[in-house]
Amino acid sequence: MFANVARSRLLPMSVPFRYFGAAVALHIAAWAALLAGARDVAAFPGGLGWPFAALHLATLGVLAMAAIGATLQLLPVATRQPVRSVGAAKLVWWLFVPGVLLFGGGAAAYAPRAMAPGAVLALAALSLYGWLLARNLWSARGMPVVVAHGWAALAALAGLAFTGLALVARYEHGLALDHSAFRVAHLVLAAYGFMGLLALGLSQFLLPMLAVARPPAPRSAYAALGTALAAILLALGGFLGAAALAGLVAAAIHVVSLERSLRARLRPALGPAFQLVRASWALLLASLALALAMALGWAPPRAGVLFIVLLVPGWLLTFLLGVLQRIVPFLASVHAGARAPPLASALSPQGPLAAHRVLHFAALAGLLAGVALDALWLVQVAAAAGLAGALAFAAFFAGVLGRLKSARVPAHA
Amino acid sequence: MDFNRHISRRLHEEHEATLALWGRLEQTLAMRGAKPPTEEDLRLVRDCTAQIADEVTRHFAFEEKDLFPLLAASGEGDIAGLLAEEHATIREAARRFGELAQPSADLQARWPEARALALELAERLVSHVQKEEMSLLPSLEDLLDEETDQALAGSYV
Repeated sequence: MFANVARSRLLPMSVPFRYFGAAVALHIAAWAALLAGARDVAAFPGGLGWPFAALHLATLGVLAMAAIGATLQLLPVATRQPVRSVGAAKLVWWLFVPGVLLFGGGAAAYAPRAMAPGAVLALAALSLYGWLLARNLWSARGMPVVVAHGWAALAALAGLAFTGLALVARYEHGLALDHSAFRVAHLVLAAYGFMGLLALGLSQFLLPMLAVARPPAPRSAYAALGTALAAILLALGGFLGAAALAGLVAAAIHVVSLERSLRARLRPALGPAFQLVRASWALLLASLALALAMALGWAPPRAGVLFIVLLVPGWLLTFLLGVLQRIVPFLASVHAGARAPPLASALSPQGPLAAHRVLHFAALAGLLAGVALDALWLVQVAAAAGLAGALAFAAFFAGVLGRLKSARVPAHA
Repeated sequence: MDFNRHISRRLHEEHEATLALWGRLEQTLAMRGAKPPTEEDLRLVRDCTAQIADEVTRHFAFEEKDLFPLLAASGEGDIAGLLAEEHATIREAARRFGELAQPSADLQARWPEARALALELAERLVSHVQKEEMSLLPSLEDLLDEETDQALAGSYV
């Protein structure tokens, strides 16, 4: 079906970078949608509209998009298997980008008829990606810890696609289903399942690699994975309190084992990206603590929205942006092709990254405070800060590509 | 990552020693900033010069002669080419660094140049080791049989 099977594990630069570029652009769109719908954020009941669009632009458009790009390039390194088809890897992008745009646009415009084809395109893209992922994991020869996380994430991807389609069918065709249960299942499978398990698994080799440290012991990674899977199954079964508690244990094992690994690193300088990574871990733990409080009936008002803020822009987006700012220049330097390959640090404009860090943390703090206090102006300021941060991150990404282009000139001159 | 082949373990240990030494130098230089170097700084720079001279002759030459061709033959010629390109860049930077830090040179007087070059070398070495640890060493686990592994380990002194 797809003839151009990659022989090497090193993909053409255009493959991962098209996903990173789309994620960077949709990151801007997600914060812009949140700003447009700021009035409805604090009391967000979960229906269509701008906040729903912002949430899905962030989850599908930024998190899943970047995760696909990153895993297409990084997983073959871990599994010692090339991507089965470069053509399929490109086709996923061509299906996924319009799918996410249609779905997000339809949600913002309260137009389920536009969302449905968007969902179908996104589902087709995710199915094709799932096939690529499964083929890679099936023949994997290295890093069994990462492979185990990959299989678990793939199972969660199947579940989130099924629950997502069911929810879209409910909006468009009035399909009768337990809306609340499906919504919780979809959220858990998407955030803690697919994205979360990929983040946990890739962290096992990516973070030690970036920090120049030894990876954590496999037994701690398997313990975190097993406990996380138990937590997800408990949540799907409706045992939310037990699920949150098990999730807290899994997250604590994950964070402690990685912190131990980072403490024993060989290169003392960690770099500012790890401020985002460490903040994301704190936000992961906070999301689970709040979930536990909600299950026990101790939650503050608007806890559901606070939970989503801690989970999506808090844990997952913060983690992704921290990792992305390290792997984008790293991969760019790999593909520079110049006689003296540029240093990753020379390809990274630090000004936009510093601005992004401040604005991103300000956006998160403002969003949490704005929702907790039900203060519209704070939510608006926070969304504007997030939007400015996303623009700063886009400036960083464009800066890397611009510097790469300049570095390549001598090689072709 | 745990390696099963003798040669992978050996190269991995050398990578760790390189990273530890150059990580220490990088941290020292970052803490010192633009201030003039102390005697201890100069000693550390000269230790690093000796280490890198060994690295670019023995370690690099072995990889280029015995390992990169194996990698290329297995369909990973682009990775082998990338690693070889980085060797050439590191060699050139190490040569310039060696000239600056040789015993007869006034390292103190040319400190800003030496400092910048040391930081560049530290980053290049870290990045290069990361790539070899992610691509070359895991591939050797698949490409080498026991006999070839023993022979390579024996020839690498």
